[in-house]
Amino acid sequence: MNLLLVVTAAFLCACGTYLVLSRHLSRVIIGIGLLGHGVNVLLVLSGGDGGRPAFVGGDGGPVADPLPQALVLTAIVITFGVIAFLLALAYRSWRVTGNDEVEDDVEDRRIAREAHQGEPEAST
Amino acid sequence: MRYRRSVIFDATVTLVFDGALVLSAYLLFAGHNQPGGGFVGGLVAAGAIALHYVAGGGDQVRSLLGVQPWTLLSIGLALAVGTAVVPVLFGANPLDQEAYQVELLVLGKAKATTALVFDAGVYLVVVGLMLMILEGLGLASDEPLDDGEVER
Amino acid sequence: MLFGLIALHAAAGLVVLVGARRLGRWGFVVGGTAPLAAALVALASAGAVLDGRSTTQRAGWVPQLGLTLDLRLDAFALLMVALVSGIGTLVFAYAWHYFAGSAYAGRAAGLLTLFAGSMLGVVLADNLLVLYGFWELTSITSYLLIGLHDDDRDARDGALHALLVTGLGGLAMLGGFVLLGHAAGTLQLSALLADPPSGGVVPVALVLVLLGAFTKSAQYPFHSWLPRAMVAPTPISAYLHSAAMVKAGVYLVARFAPAFADVGPWRPLVVGVGLVTMVAGGLRALRPFDLKQLLAFGTISQLGFLVVLFGLGRPEATAAACALLLAHALFKAALFMVVGIVDHAAHTRDLRRLPLLGAGWRATRAVALVSAASMAAIPPLAGFVAKEKAYAALVHGDATDRAILAVLVVGSMLTVAYSARFAAALWRPDLLVVPSEPRTTLDAGPRHGILAPALVLASATALLGLWPATWSRLVDGAANSLDPAAHAHLELWHGFNATLALSAITLAGGALIFALRRPVSALQARLAPRRSGVDAYDASVRGVLRGAGWVTSVVQSGSLPVYAGIILATAALAPLLAMVSGAWWPGWPDAIGRAGQIPAAGMLVAGATAATVATRRFAAALLLGVVGYGMALLFVVQGAPDLALTQFAVETLSVVVFLLVLRRLPDRFERESQPLLGRAARLAVSALVGVWVAVGAIAFSGARTAAPVSEEMVARSLPEGYGENVVNVILVDIRGLDTMGEITVLVAAGIGIAALARAGRPPRPRPERRSIREHREEVGA
Repeated sequence: MNLLLVVTAAFLCACGTYLVLSRHLSRVIIGIGLLGHGVNVLLVLSGGDGGRPAFVGGDGGPVADPLPQALVLTAIVITFGVIAFLLALAYRSWRVTGNDEVEDDVEDRRIAREAHQGEPEAST
Repeated sequence: MRYRRSVIFDATVTLVFDGALVLSAYLLFAGHNQPGGGFVGGLVAAGAIALHYVAGGGDQVRSLLGVQPWTLLSIGLALAVGTAVVPVLFGANPLDQEAYQVELLVLGKAKATTALVFDAGVYLVVVGLMLMILEGLGLASDEPLDDGEVER
Repeated sequence: MLFGLIALHAAAGLVVLVGARRLGRWGFVVGGTAPLAAALVALASAGAVLDGRSTTQRAGWVPQLGLTLDLRLDAFALLMVALVSGIGTLVFAYAWHYFAGSAYAGRAAGLLTLFAGSMLGVVLADNLLVLYGFWELTSITSYLLIGLHDDDRDARDGALHALLVTGLGGLAMLGGFVLLGHAAGTLQLSALLADPPSGGVVPVALVLVLLGAFTKSAQYPFHSWLPRAMVAPTPISAYLHSAAMVKAGVYLVARFAPAFADVGPWRPLVVGVGLVTMVAGGLRALRPFDLKQLLAFGTISQLGFLVVLFGLGRPEATAAACALLLAHALFKAALFMVVGIVDHAAHTRDLRRLPLLGAGWRATRAVALVSAASMAAIPPLAGFVAKEKAYAALVHGDATDRAILAVLVVGSMLTVAYSARFAAALWRPDLLVVPSEPRTTLDAGPRHGILAPALVLASATALLGLWPATWSRLVDGAANSLDPAAHAHLELWHGFNATLALSAITLAGGALIFALRRPVSALQARLAPRRSGVDAYDASVRGVLRGAGWVTSVVQSGSLPVYAGIILATAALAPLLAMVSGAWWPGWPDAIGRAGQIPAAGMLVAGATAATVATRRFAAALLLGVVGYGMALLFVVQGAPDLALTQFAVETLSVVVFLLVLRRLPDRFERESQPLLGRAARLAVSALVGVWVAVGAIAFSGARTAAPVSEEMVARSLPEGYGENVVNVILVDIRGLDTMGEITVLVAAGIGIAALARAGRPPRPRPERRSIREHREEVGA
């Protein structure tokens, strides 16, 4: 555990969050990528300050914790799959709307408007 | 869309492609004892295919392997699930340590055979995913539409 | 046997429903076999049951949870079965005539059979949850029955009103049952009542159970659904709203009262609500011109009476209530049937348009008179015998009892008055209201046979009044099974005593109210509350809808950034707030672990900053790649070559995938439209998440107490996993199932990508297989 990497992970997560809160799907995707990196830094951190690669045999210094490494390996590939899927979503959004901007749900806005105006109308 | 092709780039890609495939196979087989494994191997192979796509466009990749992406995905998943299920048939837990021992006696092969099968499944899934991406986002999106949707 | 009866109802009901169109009103014959069988079984086992040998049947359902399907036929259940199935059979016979030529006959028959089965389940259930299940089944079937004419808006509204009120009451009751079962340690009704729990949550549980009973039995202030349910065809009203469903609440009060009447809120609540209901219902019954409405409010009033008597939980009152329960079902079902017959012939049941009934109506009028007289407790009828018992139970009590008795007498006077009103409607309608157009006269009597069931009921009313010994044993047994101290000996003539005097006063008072009907109704019209129960119901439904709209508009803004912001802020804030108190700070960690981390961290921070502020899409994607390569560097420093390799490959592939999609999209990010979540809010949420990650990382790493499990993994990697690369052994062996789940996710992502990308495109033919050699020849390499 060291402060440098803690701050780095926190910074990556904050940047990722800022992008995820955007309306542009491509920004959201990059934000998710950054969040993934931030979390991976945390995972690696949880294995201590690192060390010799975790192979059986050999000598010289402490062995790095292999379990977080396995978790991170899984996380990297999953993030890749998720990002590819989200990009397909952005592509589809572009096909339908000509942009990758996530617009407000029209139906939800209608309900909100009616609730503020009073009488809810029966939707048929 | 037709891209202008560079002969030098094409030739380089063809050379690199072979090397990358060999490397990916090495990573897969060596992975149990040295750096590597199914994920890394699959990703390297996928990178080689992607490179081929960038160099030669979709048609090359499509004809290169002669398999549908989902064929690779399903074979890969079946291999991995199979390695998990076979030990159960021998009365052990899924992916059980003892199961490898049993396999070992029956097959009489080198050690860690079943782990390699599992890793090969992972390898195929990763390659299949990449093919799927190239197929979907690369090739399909260049094809004409048939349902009246307007291509923008 | 008991299970068989309920199964018979279910089977017959479903058969009739399936063949509704083909069977038509013959459905009442097919479905009617079920209540008939139940009535016959009850009759056959009456001797043994009344001797105190109750029949119990059990079937395990989920024994681990204490859930068993217990049915129990004791004497009180026998009385209820007599009502539900005995009167039920008569109602089926009546409905066979009533629904002649109706397109709804088949469906009504099927639903009515299912309802009869559910009601049978309610009175036989010996397990609280089973009771609740049947209880809700009666609510649902009654909803479908009230709304039988589903093209009529009033019918649908009335049905929904009934369902909402009784359904909500049922839910409260379920809560009460669960609390009671927990307190008692058993869900078995008979065991619970034999050894009632006390203290703690029991009063709360009882109030919840009573809410269920009150809504079902249309007690004030939940009564308004019952008059509205009168849109149902008359046989359904006769069955559901006189004999069966509305008695379910009374049944529950009757079962629980002997065990729980002494628990805090029980008596004030039950007796208070019952008395209010009796008087208010009686007053309201004096006003409507619609005869069914009159009967509906009369039913509400009588249900209040029953709730008071049972709710007292005293042996004599319980015995009287059992008698009244039976007497009420007899006369009220007959009266409903008469209204239906008149309605059918005259096409109206409105006092202002009702024709004068001529010679053909003698028998009908006699039935109405006998039943109305029983309702008014005129000797020598069943109603009189029962009411005498009720007065006798209270007349010798203390001041509270006398006060209750006084209210009961007032309520009974109102009963006499509206009974007279009902009788007058059939005999001398001009006594009540003189219409502007002279009344027509209807000479031709009712259709042949339709009166028979009502005639049976009226004969029973007279018979039981004249020979109380015929039902004394049944009432005695029923009361006795509720409360071992309760005994009933029914008699027509008790001699001259206070009870008889009270009966006389009641009749005289009722007659006086009827005589003064014009000033009374003028006074009532002036004093009547402006808002009826239906208005209150409508207002609460509107309020719920408006509240739902408001909540939706607040919670469901429809904006993805807002949703994501709320989720992320909550995820960060909730643990941070929890950490405000408590000693979690483990002290500051070292500033730097290894020198190699500095360039890696620098690359990460610089890349992330640039990616966040980038204004071009592709630049942002490339900068994300920079961060990825920084990660690879970090992995090398940390001693994770596998990770470095993987990260490096993934990052390269990611750039390709980004390229594939971003080539379509505009080069720059446009200005965002309608930013619901402003820049300041985004920055605040991001900062919050950053702080949470930093604080959480330090706190959690300081909280570690156990040795890392990975030491064991390293030790066992070679001997048991046959691999020297521990990370790989973990992936394919030790945590192999996780990896399998992961590649499943990858496959799912692949399928999703294909679906999204190929949407709207024709399927592609299989690729032509060519060897690499052929391929190369074509390329010319």
